[in-house]
Amino acid sequence: MDYTIEGNPDYGHLVVSLEPGETFVAEGGSMAWMSHGTQINARLLGGFARALVRKVVGGESLFVGEFSHPEGGQVAFSPAVPGTVHHRRVNNDKLILTGGSFMACTNGVSLGTQFGGLKSMFSGEGLFFIECSGVGDLFFNSYGALIEKDVAGDFTVDTGHVVAWEPTLRYTIRGMGGLKSTLLSGEGLAMSFSGVGKIYLQSRTMPALAGWLIPFG
Amino acid sequence: MPKYTVSEEGSYRSVMVELDRGERFTSEAGAMFRASDNIEIDVTTRSRGTGGLLSGVRRMMSGESFFLSTYRTRGGGPGEVGLAPTLAGDVVVIECSGIGGWLCAGGSYLGSSDGLSIDTEFQGFRGMLSGESLFFLDIEGKGQLLVSAFGSVKEVEVDGALTVDTGHVVAFEDTLEYTVGKAGGSWVQSFLSSEGVVMHFSGQGKAYLQSHNPDQFGQTLGGLMPPRS
Repeated sequence: MDYTIEGNPDYGHLVVSLEPGETFVAEGGSMAWMSHGTQINARLLGGFARALVRKVVGGESLFVGEFSHPEGGQVAFSPAVPGTVHHRRVNNDKLILTGGSFMACTNGVSLGTQFGGLKSMFSGEGLFFIECSGVGDLFFNSYGALIEKDVAGDFTVDTGHVVAWEPTLRYTIRGMGGLKSTLLSGEGLAMSFSGVGKIYLQSRTMPALAGWLIPFG
Repeated sequence: MPKYTVSEEGSYRSVMVELDRGERFTSEAGAMFRASDNIEIDVTTRSRGTGGLLSGVRRMMSGESFFLSTYRTRGGGPGEVGLAPTLAGDVVVIECSGIGGWLCAGGSYLGSSDGLSIDTEFQGFRGMLSGESLFFLDIEGKGQLLVSAFGSVKEVEVDGALTVDTGHVVAFEDTLEYTVGKAGGSWVQSFLSSEGVVMHFSGQGKAYLQSHNPDQFGQTLGGLMPPRS
Protein backbone atom coordinates (compact mmCIF):
# COMPACT_ATOMS: atom_id res chain seq x y z
CA MET A 1 0.00 0.00 0.00
CA ASP A 2 1.26 3.46 -0.96
CA TYR A 3 0.00 6.56 0.74
CA THR A 4 0.58 10.31 0.58
CA ILE A 5 -0.51 12.91 3.09
CA GLU A 6 -1.39 16.14 1.28
CA GLY A 7 -2.35 19.58 2.51
CA ASN A 8 -0.55 19.62 5.88
CA PRO A 9 -0.47 21.56 8.16
CA ASP A 10 -3.82 23.29 7.54
CA TYR A 11 -5.80 20.97 5.28
CA GLY A 12 -4.27 17.57 5.83
CA HIS A 13 -5.87 14.67 4.01
CA LEU A 14 -4.78 11.23 2.97
CA VAL A 15 -4.59 9.56 -0.44
CA VAL A 16 -4.13 5.79 -0.42
CA SER A 17 -3.31 3.48 -3.33
CA LEU A 18 -4.74 0.03 -2.73
CA GLU A 19 -3.33 -3.07 -4.39
CA PRO A 20 -5.81 -5.81 -5.36
CA GLY A 21 -6.79 -7.73 -2.25
CA GLU A 22 -5.54 -5.11 0.22
CA THR A 23 -7.96 -3.71 2.74
CA PHE A 24 -7.77 -0.39 4.51
CA VAL A 25 -9.82 0.77 7.49
CA ALA A 26 -11.10 4.33 7.90
CA GLU A 27 -13.38 6.33 10.16
CA GLY A 28 -16.99 6.24 8.93
CA GLY A 29 -17.84 9.15 6.65
CA SER A 30 -14.23 10.17 5.97
CA MET A 31 -14.05 9.06 2.32
CA ALA A 32 -13.69 12.08 0.01
CA TRP A 33 -13.24 10.44 -3.38
CA MET A 34 -12.27 7.04 -4.72
CA SER A 35 -11.71 5.00 -7.86
CA HIS A 36 -14.85 3.58 -9.35
CA GLY A 37 -15.50 0.07 -8.10
CA THR A 38 -14.05 0.51 -4.60
CA GLN A 39 -15.79 -1.78 -2.13
CA ILE A 40 -16.85 -0.52 1.29
CA ASN A 41 -17.83 -2.79 4.14
CA ALA A 42 -18.98 -1.46 7.46
CA ARG A 43 -17.27 -3.04 10.43
CA LEU A 44 -18.29 -2.78 14.04
CA LEU A 45 -15.62 -1.24 16.21
CA GLY A 46 -14.86 -3.03 19.45
CA GLY A 47 -17.58 -5.69 19.39
CA PHE A 48 -21.33 -5.40 19.46
CA ALA A 49 -21.94 -4.91 23.19
CA ARG A 50 -19.36 -2.15 23.48
CA ALA A 51 -20.53 -0.53 20.28
CA LEU A 52 -24.05 -0.47 21.61
CA VAL A 53 -22.97 1.10 24.88
CA ARG A 54 -20.91 3.64 22.94
CA LYS A 55 -23.89 4.53 20.80
CA VAL A 56 -26.45 4.69 23.57
CA VAL A 57 -24.33 6.36 26.23
CA GLY A 58 -21.79 8.26 24.23
CA GLY A 59 -23.61 8.91 20.95
CA GLU A 60 -20.37 8.03 19.23
CA SER A 61 -20.09 6.30 15.88
CA LEU A 62 -20.36 2.54 15.80
CA PHE A 63 -18.75 1.64 12.57
CA VAL A 64 -15.59 1.99 10.58
CA GLY A 65 -15.43 1.42 6.82
CA GLU A 66 -13.28 -1.31 5.31
CA PHE A 67 -12.10 -0.30 1.84
CA SER A 68 -10.81 -2.59 -0.89
CA HIS A 69 -10.63 -2.66 -4.66
CA PRO A 70 -10.58 -5.88 -6.70
CA GLU A 71 -8.33 -4.41 -9.42
CA GLY A 72 -6.52 -1.90 -7.23
CA GLY A 73 -7.39 1.78 -6.98
CA GLN A 74 -7.10 5.04 -5.08
CA VAL A 75 -9.13 6.32 -2.15
CA ALA A 76 -8.83 9.76 -0.51
CA PHE A 77 -9.85 10.36 3.10
CA SER A 78 -10.44 13.67 4.76
CA PRO A 79 -11.09 14.50 8.42
CA ALA A 80 -14.21 16.45 9.40
CA VAL A 81 -12.14 19.34 10.74
CA PRO A 82 -9.25 21.19 9.11
CA GLY A 83 -5.81 20.51 10.55
CA THR A 84 -2.92 18.10 10.36
CA VAL A 85 -2.95 14.42 9.41
CA HIS A 86 -0.20 12.37 11.03
CA HIS A 87 1.22 8.94 10.19
CA ARG A 88 2.60 6.63 12.85
CA ARG A 89 3.96 3.16 12.42
CA VAL A 90 2.51 0.78 15.00
CA ASN A 91 4.90 -2.05 15.75
CA ASN A 92 3.68 -4.17 18.64
CA ASP A 93 3.35 -1.07 20.74
CA LYS A 94 0.20 0.78 21.72
CA LEU A 95 -1.28 4.19 21.21
CA ILE A 96 -4.49 5.56 22.73
CA LEU A 97 -6.53 7.97 20.57
CA THR A 98 -9.26 10.26 21.84
CA GLY A 99 -12.72 10.01 20.22
CA GLY A 100 -12.52 12.18 17.14
CA SER A 101 -8.82 11.68 16.40
CA PHE A 102 -8.86 8.30 14.67
CA MET A 103 -8.74 8.55 10.90
CA ALA A 104 -7.50 5.36 9.25
CA CYS A 105 -5.18 2.36 9.49
CA THR A 106 -3.92 -0.65 7.58
CA ASN A 107 -5.49 -3.99 8.32
CA GLY A 108 -2.69 -5.15 10.64
CA VAL A 109 -3.54 -2.53 13.25
CA SER A 110 -6.06 -3.80 15.78
CA LEU A 111 -8.53 -1.31 17.07
CA GLY A 112 -10.08 -1.72 20.47
CA THR A 113 -12.25 0.56 22.49
CA GLN A 114 -11.27 1.51 25.97
CA PHE A 115 -13.78 2.75 28.48
CA GLY A 116 -12.24 5.83 29.96
CA GLY A 117 -14.01 5.31 33.25
CA LEU A 118 -16.14 7.81 35.05
CA LYS A 119 -13.39 10.36 35.00
CA SER A 120 -13.55 10.54 31.21
CA MET A 121 -17.21 11.52 31.40
CA PHE A 122 -16.10 14.83 32.77
CA SER A 123 -13.20 15.26 30.41
CA GLY A 124 -15.23 16.37 27.39
CA GLU A 125 -13.37 13.79 25.34
CA GLY A 126 -16.18 11.29 25.17
CA LEU A 127 -16.53 8.07 27.08
CA PHE A 128 -14.32 5.90 24.99
CA PHE A 129 -10.83 5.99 23.70
CA ILE A 130 -9.56 3.94 20.78
CA GLU A 131 -6.66 1.66 21.59
CA CYS A 132 -4.41 0.88 18.62
CA SER A 133 -2.04 -2.09 18.71
CA GLY A 134 -0.64 -4.74 16.39
CA VAL A 135 1.57 -4.00 13.37
CA GLY A 136 0.77 -1.53 10.61
CA ASP A 137 0.29 2.08 9.60
CA LEU A 138 -1.95 4.35 11.63
CA PHE A 139 -3.28 7.77 10.61
CA PHE A 140 -4.84 10.28 12.97
CA ASN A 141 -5.73 13.96 12.79
CA SER A 142 -5.78 17.12 14.85
CA TYR A 143 -7.94 20.24 14.71
CA GLY A 144 -5.38 22.95 14.05
CA ALA A 145 -1.70 22.11 14.39
CA LEU A 146 -0.44 18.82 15.80
CA ILE A 147 2.08 19.12 18.62
CA GLU A 148 4.28 16.16 19.49
CA LYS A 149 5.80 16.00 22.96
CA ASP A 150 8.08 13.51 24.66
CA VAL A 151 7.12 13.38 28.29
CA ALA A 152 9.47 12.27 31.04
CA GLY A 153 8.01 13.08 34.42
CA ASP A 154 4.80 15.04 34.89
CA PHE A 155 2.86 16.83 32.21
CA THR A 156 -0.53 18.54 32.41
CA VAL A 157 -2.79 19.23 29.41
CA ASP A 158 -6.27 20.68 28.96
CA THR A 159 -8.42 17.62 28.13
CA GLY A 160 -9.79 19.04 24.87
CA HIS A 161 -6.30 19.40 23.42
CA VAL A 162 -5.30 15.76 23.84
CA VAL A 163 -5.15 13.78 20.57
CA ALA A 164 -3.21 10.66 21.53
CA TRP A 165 -0.74 9.22 24.00
CA GLU A 166 1.38 6.15 24.57
CA PRO A 167 -0.07 4.07 27.41
CA THR A 168 3.34 3.84 29.05
CA LEU A 169 2.06 7.12 30.43
CA ARG A 170 -0.50 7.08 33.23
CA TYR A 171 -2.98 9.86 33.73
CA THR A 172 -5.49 11.30 36.14
CA ILE A 173 -8.15 13.89 35.44
CA ARG A 174 -8.39 16.90 37.69
CA GLY A 175 -9.25 20.59 37.69
CA MET A 176 -6.63 22.99 36.47
CA GLY A 177 -6.54 24.70 39.84
CA GLY A 178 -8.92 24.69 42.75
CA LEU A 179 -12.66 24.40 42.27
CA LYS A 180 -12.98 28.15 41.99
CA SER A 181 -10.46 28.52 39.21
CA THR A 182 -11.86 25.47 37.41
CA LEU A 183 -15.28 27.06 37.34
CA LEU A 184 -14.21 30.58 36.60
CA SER A 185 -11.09 30.38 34.47
CA GLY A 186 -12.54 28.48 31.55
CA GLU A 187 -9.55 26.20 31.75
CA GLY A 188 -11.87 23.34 32.61
CA LEU A 189 -10.40 19.96 33.25
CA ALA A 190 -6.90 18.77 32.78
CA MET A 191 -5.29 15.41 32.19
CA SER A 192 -2.20 15.00 34.33
CA PHE A 193 0.18 12.56 32.72
CA SER A 194 3.14 10.97 34.41
CA GLY A 195 5.80 8.51 33.34
CA VAL A 196 7.77 8.26 30.11
CA GLY A 197 6.17 8.33 26.69
CA LYS A 198 4.96 10.38 23.78
CA ILE A 199 1.87 12.56 23.72
CA TYR A 200 0.18 14.30 20.76
CA LEU A 201 -1.76 17.52 21.23
CA GLN A 202 -3.90 19.73 19.01
CA SER A 203 -3.60 23.52 18.99
CA ARG A 204 -7.37 24.15 18.77
CA THR A 205 -10.55 22.44 20.01
CA MET A 206 -14.00 22.30 18.44
CA PRO A 207 -15.91 22.68 21.76
CA ALA A 208 -14.03 25.95 22.32
CA LEU A 209 -15.03 27.21 18.85
CA ALA A 210 -18.64 26.18 19.46
CA GLY A 211 -18.62 27.84 22.86
CA TRP A 212 -17.30 31.02 21.34
CA LEU A 213 -20.03 30.99 18.65
CA ILE A 214 -22.99 30.26 20.95
CA PRO A 215 -23.49 33.86 22.17
CA PHE A 216 -23.83 34.94 18.53
CA GLY A 217 -26.44 32.27 17.66
CA MET B 1 -12.10 40.59 -19.93
CA PRO B 2 -11.69 41.41 -16.22
CA LYS B 3 -8.29 40.79 -14.67
CA TYR B 4 -8.18 38.41 -11.71
CA THR B 5 -5.58 38.37 -8.96
CA VAL B 6 -5.97 35.56 -6.45
CA SER B 7 -4.07 36.13 -3.20
CA GLU B 8 -1.38 33.48 -3.14
CA GLU B 9 -0.41 33.37 0.50
CA GLY B 10 -1.76 31.27 3.30
CA SER B 11 -4.95 29.33 3.81
CA TYR B 12 -7.45 32.16 3.45
CA ARG B 13 -7.59 33.11 -0.23
CA SER B 14 -9.51 35.96 -1.81
CA VAL B 15 -9.61 37.45 -5.31
CA MET B 16 -9.38 40.96 -6.73
CA VAL B 17 -11.42 41.53 -9.91
CA GLU B 18 -10.36 44.52 -12.04
CA LEU B 19 -13.10 45.75 -14.37
CA ASP B 20 -12.59 47.91 -17.45
CA ARG B 21 -14.98 50.78 -18.06
CA GLY B 22 -18.47 49.51 -18.70
CA GLU B 23 -17.65 45.94 -17.73
CA ARG B 24 -20.01 43.97 -15.52
CA PHE B 25 -19.39 41.19 -13.05
CA THR B 26 -21.61 38.97 -10.90
CA SER B 27 -20.91 37.40 -7.52
CA GLU B 28 -22.63 35.53 -4.76
CA ALA B 29 -24.30 38.23 -2.63
CA GLY B 30 -22.21 39.04 0.41
CA ALA B 31 -18.92 37.96 -1.13
CA MET B 32 -17.75 41.52 -1.82
CA PHE B 33 -15.41 42.77 0.89
CA ARG B 34 -14.12 45.88 -0.85
CA ALA B 35 -14.83 47.88 -3.98
CA SER B 36 -13.51 51.06 -5.57
CA ASP B 37 -15.90 54.00 -5.17
CA ASN B 38 -16.94 54.02 -8.83
CA ILE B 39 -18.50 50.54 -8.56
CA GLU B 40 -22.28 50.34 -8.68
CA ILE B 41 -23.81 47.35 -6.91
CA ASP B 42 -27.16 45.78 -7.67
CA VAL B 43 -28.60 42.81 -5.79
CA THR B 44 -30.90 40.42 -7.57
CA THR B 45 -32.85 37.59 -6.00
CA ARG B 46 -32.63 34.40 -7.84
CA SER B 47 -34.24 31.40 -6.35
CA ARG B 48 -34.70 27.99 -7.71
CA GLY B 49 -38.19 26.62 -7.99
CA THR B 50 -41.26 28.77 -8.33
CA GLY B 51 -43.97 30.00 -6.05
CA GLY B 52 -45.16 33.16 -4.38
CA LEU B 53 -43.65 35.34 -1.74
CA LEU B 54 -44.31 32.81 0.98
CA SER B 55 -42.40 30.02 -0.69
CA GLY B 56 -39.67 32.53 -1.42
CA VAL B 57 -39.41 33.31 2.27
CA ARG B 58 -39.47 29.62 3.08
CA ARG B 59 -36.65 28.98 0.64
CA MET B 60 -34.74 31.82 2.18
CA MET B 61 -35.19 30.34 5.65
CA SER B 62 -33.96 26.97 4.50
CA GLY B 63 -30.92 28.56 2.92
CA GLU B 64 -31.94 27.44 -0.53
CA SER B 65 -32.49 30.84 -2.02
CA PHE B 66 -29.72 32.20 -4.10
CA PHE B 67 -28.91 35.87 -4.20
CA LEU B 68 -26.52 37.44 -6.66
CA SER B 69 -24.81 40.82 -6.69
CA THR B 70 -23.93 42.50 -9.97
CA TYR B 71 -21.21 45.12 -10.24
CA ARG B 72 -20.56 47.66 -12.95
CA THR B 73 -18.22 50.60 -13.25
CA ARG B 74 -19.73 54.06 -13.23
CA GLY B 75 -18.26 56.96 -15.15
CA GLY B 76 -15.41 56.49 -17.57
CA GLY B 77 -12.73 54.71 -15.57
CA PRO B 78 -11.85 51.18 -14.55
CA GLY B 79 -12.79 49.81 -11.13
CA GLU B 80 -12.09 46.92 -8.86
CA VAL B 81 -14.05 44.51 -6.67
CA GLY B 82 -12.52 42.27 -4.00
CA LEU B 83 -14.32 39.00 -3.33
CA ALA B 84 -13.85 36.71 -0.32
CA PRO B 85 -15.54 33.37 0.38
CA THR B 86 -17.11 32.51 3.75
CA LEU B 87 -14.94 29.53 4.62
CA ALA B 88 -11.17 29.22 4.76
CA GLY B 89 -9.58 27.77 1.66
CA ASP B 90 -8.62 28.14 -1.98
CA VAL B 91 -10.09 30.33 -4.70
CA VAL B 92 -9.81 29.18 -8.32
CA VAL B 93 -10.49 30.97 -11.62
CA ILE B 94 -12.02 28.55 -14.15
CA GLU B 95 -11.81 29.50 -17.82
CA CYS B 96 -15.07 28.55 -19.52
CA SER B 97 -14.54 28.12 -23.26
CA GLY B 98 -18.19 28.41 -24.24
CA ILE B 99 -18.08 25.04 -25.95
CA GLY B 100 -19.42 23.08 -22.99
CA GLY B 101 -21.01 24.23 -19.75
CA TRP B 102 -20.09 23.74 -16.12
CA LEU B 103 -22.02 22.62 -13.07
CA CYS B 104 -20.97 24.40 -9.90
CA ALA B 105 -21.99 23.39 -6.38
CA GLY B 106 -24.20 26.12 -4.90
CA GLY B 107 -21.92 26.59 -1.90
CA SER B 108 -18.80 26.87 -4.06
CA TYR B 109 -19.93 29.61 -6.44
CA LEU B 110 -18.05 32.87 -5.82
CA GLY B 111 -18.53 34.88 -9.00
CA SER B 112 -18.66 34.94 -12.80
CA SER B 113 -17.92 37.29 -15.68
CA ASP B 114 -20.68 38.85 -17.75
CA GLY B 115 -20.52 36.33 -20.60
CA LEU B 116 -21.70 33.50 -18.38
CA SER B 117 -25.30 32.69 -17.67
CA ILE B 118 -26.25 31.20 -14.33
CA ASP B 119 -29.23 28.94 -14.14
CA THR B 120 -30.30 28.57 -10.54
CA GLU B 121 -33.39 26.61 -11.43
CA PHE B 122 -31.49 23.37 -11.68
CA GLN B 123 -32.93 21.18 -8.97
CA GLY B 124 -30.17 18.68 -8.58
CA PHE B 125 -30.89 16.03 -6.06
CA ARG B 126 -32.02 16.06 -2.47
CA GLY B 127 -30.00 13.89 -0.15
CA MET B 128 -31.84 10.95 1.28
CA LEU B 129 -29.89 9.30 4.05
CA SER B 130 -27.21 11.87 4.61
CA GLY B 131 -29.37 14.94 5.00
CA GLU B 132 -27.06 16.68 2.57
CA SER B 133 -28.67 18.30 -0.40
CA LEU B 134 -27.14 18.82 -3.78
CA PHE B 135 -27.75 22.11 -5.46
CA PHE B 136 -25.85 22.91 -8.61
CA LEU B 137 -25.71 26.06 -10.69
CA ASP B 138 -25.76 25.45 -14.41
CA ILE B 139 -23.14 27.75 -15.94
CA GLU B 140 -23.17 28.32 -19.70
CA GLY B 141 -21.26 30.62 -22.04
CA LYS B 142 -17.76 31.99 -22.43
CA GLY B 143 -15.93 33.70 -19.60
CA GLN B 144 -14.46 33.11 -16.19
CA LEU B 145 -16.08 31.30 -13.28
CA LEU B 146 -14.70 31.92 -9.78
CA VAL B 147 -15.12 29.12 -7.26
CA SER B 148 -14.10 28.74 -3.64
CA ALA B 149 -13.24 25.59 -1.73
CA PHE B 150 -13.19 24.53 1.89
CA GLY B 151 -9.54 23.57 2.18
CA SER B 152 -7.42 22.94 -0.87
CA VAL B 153 -8.62 22.35 -4.42
CA LYS B 154 -7.64 19.40 -6.54
CA GLU B 155 -8.06 19.57 -10.30
CA VAL B 156 -8.91 16.15 -11.68
CA GLU B 157 -9.01 15.12 -15.34
CA VAL B 158 -11.64 12.40 -15.22
CA ASP B 159 -11.07 9.78 -17.87
CA GLY B 160 -13.28 6.81 -17.21
CA ALA B 161 -14.86 6.76 -13.80
CA LEU B 162 -14.48 8.43 -10.43
CA THR B 163 -16.61 8.38 -7.29
CA VAL B 164 -16.77 11.54 -5.15
CA ASP B 165 -18.53 12.23 -1.86
CA THR B 166 -21.11 14.94 -2.62
CA GLY B 167 -19.59 17.29 -0.04
CA HIS B 168 -16.27 17.36 -1.89
CA VAL B 169 -17.55 18.39 -5.33
CA VAL B 170 -16.78 22.02 -6.29
CA ALA B 171 -17.47 22.16 -10.04
CA PHE B 172 -17.28 19.93 -13.10
CA GLU B 173 -17.62 20.10 -16.87
CA ASP B 174 -21.00 18.99 -18.14
CA THR B 175 -19.32 16.67 -20.63
CA LEU B 176 -19.07 14.40 -17.61
CA GLU B 177 -22.00 12.19 -16.92
CA TYR B 178 -22.94 11.45 -13.36
CA THR B 179 -25.30 9.42 -11.29
CA VAL B 180 -26.06 10.02 -7.64
CA GLY B 181 -26.06 6.93 -5.51
CA LYS B 182 -24.62 4.94 -2.68
CA ALA B 183 -20.93 4.67 -1.88
CA GLY B 184 -20.69 1.01 -0.98
CA GLY B 185 -22.11 -2.21 -2.29
CA SER B 186 -25.47 -1.70 -0.62
CA TRP B 187 -27.46 1.10 0.98
CA VAL B 188 -27.16 -0.68 4.32
CA GLN B 189 -23.36 -0.84 4.07
CA SER B 190 -23.18 2.77 2.89
CA PHE B 191 -25.39 3.92 5.71
CA LEU B 192 -23.58 1.96 8.41
CA SER B 193 -20.19 3.23 7.28
CA SER B 194 -21.65 6.78 7.21
CA GLU B 195 -20.59 7.14 3.59
CA GLY B 196 -24.07 8.28 2.57
CA VAL B 197 -24.50 9.71 -0.88
CA VAL B 198 -21.86 10.01 -3.58
CA MET B 199 -21.63 11.06 -7.21
CA HIS B 200 -20.37 8.52 -9.72
CA PHE B 201 -18.75 10.39 -12.60
CA SER B 202 -18.09 8.82 -15.96
CA GLY B 203 -16.85 9.98 -19.35
CA GLN B 204 -14.24 12.65 -19.91
CA GLY B 205 -13.91 16.09 -18.47
CA LYS B 206 -12.45 18.24 -15.77
CA ALA B 207 -13.61 18.29 -12.16
CA TYR B 208 -12.54 20.38 -9.18
CA LEU B 209 -12.71 18.75 -5.77
CA GLN B 210 -12.22 20.24 -2.31
CA SER B 211 -10.11 18.57 0.35
CA HIS B 212 -12.66 19.17 3.12
CA ASN B 213 -16.41 18.76 3.43
CA PRO B 214 -18.23 21.92 4.65
CA ASP B 215 -21.37 19.99 5.68
CA GLN B 216 -19.36 17.60 7.80
CA PHE B 217 -17.56 20.46 9.54
CA GLY B 218 -20.90 22.21 10.07
CA GLN B 219 -22.49 19.09 11.53
CA THR B 220 -19.54 18.53 13.86
CA LEU B 221 -19.67 22.11 15.06
CA GLY B 222 -23.47 22.19 15.20
CA GLY B 223 -23.51 19.06 17.34
CA LEU B 224 -21.55 20.93 20.00
CA MET B 225 -23.97 23.83 20.13
CA PRO B 226 -27.38 23.98 21.84
CA PRO B 227 -30.41 23.91 19.53
CA ARG B 228 -31.73 27.31 18.51
CA SER B 229 -34.64 28.38 20.64
